[in-house]
Amino acid sequence: MNTFADSALSFISERPDAQDRRRAWSSFEEAGLPTTSDEVWRYAPLNDLSLDAFTVNSFPNEHTDSEFASRLCERAGLVVRVVDGFCVDAGSTPDGVRVELVENASSLSGTSMLKRYESDTFALLNKALTPATTVVSIGDGVNVEKPIVIVNSTSGSSSFSSTQIKLGRSSSATVVEYFEGGADALVAPLSEYEIGDNASLQLITYQRLSQSAWHVARTTGFLHRDARLRQAVIGIGGHYNRSRNDAEMLDLGAENELRTTFLGSGSQVHDFRTHQFHMAPRTRSTLLSKGAVADESRSVYTGLIEIEKGAKRTDARQTNHNLLLSPHAHADSVPNLDIRENDVVCAHASSVGPLDELQRWYLESRGVTRSDAERLMIQGFFYEMLTALPHELAALVEQDVTSALALVNVVAP
Amino acid sequence: MSSTLVIEGLRVEVAGKEVLKGFDLSMKSGEVHVIMGPNGSGKSTLAHALSGRPGYKVLGGSVVLDGVGLLALSPTERARHGLFLAMQHPMEVPGVRPIDLLIAAGADATNLRQRMSDEAERVELRTEVLDRFVNVDLSGGERKRAEMVQLGILRPKFAMLDEIDSGLDVDALGAVARRLSSATTEWNCGVLAITHFRRLLQELTPTKIHVMTDGRVVATDGPELSEILERDGYEPFRHAKS
Repeated sequence: MNTFADSALSFISERPDAQDRRRAWSSFEEAGLPTTSDEVWRYAPLNDLSLDAFTVNSFPNEHTDSEFASRLCERAGLVVRVVDGFCVDAGSTPDGVRVELVENASSLSGTSMLKRYESDTFALLNKALTPATTVVSIGDGVNVEKPIVIVNSTSGSSSFSSTQIKLGRSSSATVVEYFEGGADALVAPLSEYEIGDNASLQLITYQRLSQSAWHVARTTGFLHRDARLRQAVIGIGGHYNRSRNDAEMLDLGAENELRTTFLGSGSQVHDFRTHQFHMAPRTRSTLLSKGAVADESRSVYTGLIEIEKGAKRTDARQTNHNLLLSPHAHADSVPNLDIRENDVVCAHASSVGPLDELQRWYLESRGVTRSDAERLMIQGFFYEMLTALPHELAALVEQDVTSALALVNVVAP
Repeated sequence: MSSTLVIEGLRVEVAGKEVLKGFDLSMKSGEVHVIMGPNGSGKSTLAHALSGRPGYKVLGGSVVLDGVGLLALSPTERARHGLFLAMQHPMEVPGVRPIDLLIAAGADATNLRQRMSDEAERVELRTEVLDRFVNVDLSGGERKRAEMVQLGILRPKFAMLDEIDSGLDVDALGAVARRLSSATTEWNCGVLAITHFRRLLQELTPTKIHVMTDGRVVATDGPELSEILERDGYEPFRHAKS
């Protein structure tokens, strides 16, 4: 097999739902890979991307958890393992929780995946090439006490994992989606979350892939009446790290809190996109995006708040702060508002700049060295984001983020 | 051990304007020196310049602590030589916890959290503040008490206090002044307090009072000087020395 397409078509032909997959593949081929003349892709290093550098796996490769993954799993009530997009271990589920593998799953939006993601190239690829969708369902009224951890690792040269998490009425759970591996690989996961009436999902998406991975991820939350989705997205790895995180507040009183964080080093590009869609009255969204870029890395944050006509008393807030740790790093911030209702509160703020000189002097004037002061401030920039993590995971993730931060060079711009 | 801090002929420029125009002061361990003066006389500039605040340009003069010239040193090195500045408006440092700051500043980590609590109680600071990020969401008074916690842990040779009494109510002022006063005996700390209010002096007995106008010291005397200031104000001192 010579090309990505050969391996993809071979993979598709062996699947029971090959026909639907071929349709998705055709749509992908018609659309082709994006180019930087597409506004939403203009920051991506697409010249470096050739699909023929990757092949589609017919089966999962061997994989062993990293030390961090093992420690994360120790704290879990349920561990689900996904390797190269294949769910290889669905764990032993606690009461009220079910894990199923579904071929040809529909989107949790109620339409088909093909329809839902018809304009998203990489989601179409995911639809065509995911081995199966891992569906985690939590029953009505079930409060899952310990975190559900999904360890998503890539050993081969591509991974198209598909995950759906469904929370029944008045249920609650904490879910960690952790990504590792992915050296020289294309990792394009697609996740959907449906949060039932008065249910509450705390979600942590922690991306620790190789610095050589192409990571193109998309998540969407569908929130019903009085549902709550608190999502933290932390992106550290990837040659190109694209993370699109959307939430649709479908019914009265739904509430979304999203915190996205990234750390750029080397020549990485971090590309964060968000869409908070308020479709019903008295819905709330709070979005805080914070990132730091060092060396020659760059980042873009593009966020859209959309408020539907009739979504009265909606409260939507969006904040983006970027820290420049080198004169050669660059960050762009592009907030957008699309508001079709008058009776709303909506605010956005953004900033791009180096470490605060006076804060640094304050620390130095206590006897802290310059490099320690900078390290403390950069850690602090991220720790502020980690305060939203559940207690049993916060220290572990904080320690891991600290180890990544310790490798970053700081050069005064 | 006794230490000395000697400032001679210090001239400092801020934003293109010379603010300190030949400032002199000499003090020893365990002494309490108070600098009083009207607004704009250069009191805070002195404190910031001694701590190496960015934007403060030294034009001339010297600052010597136990034989070591401080002006050539970085802010970190000045602090490590035993100079501490309690600020009028301590900065918020989001995401950084007080204990991590103190460890990075060289504090002994043994029982540190407990010692911080003890220091907090001495200045009537709620101990839960110690687990929050440095100065974030603290009131002006809480920040100053938090500075006293750092002082108590770091035990500098000389502590400068920039307008430590502003924003403090009478009770808090008493607690802070008593803490400083005991520092002078506990580890023989020299205290250089900048103020334009007399009330600090009711709890903290000065060795010397220096009156400062237009960037230099124009009068130095014992505690009785504060009564003259109370009665006559700064006006008689404005042209005392030219």
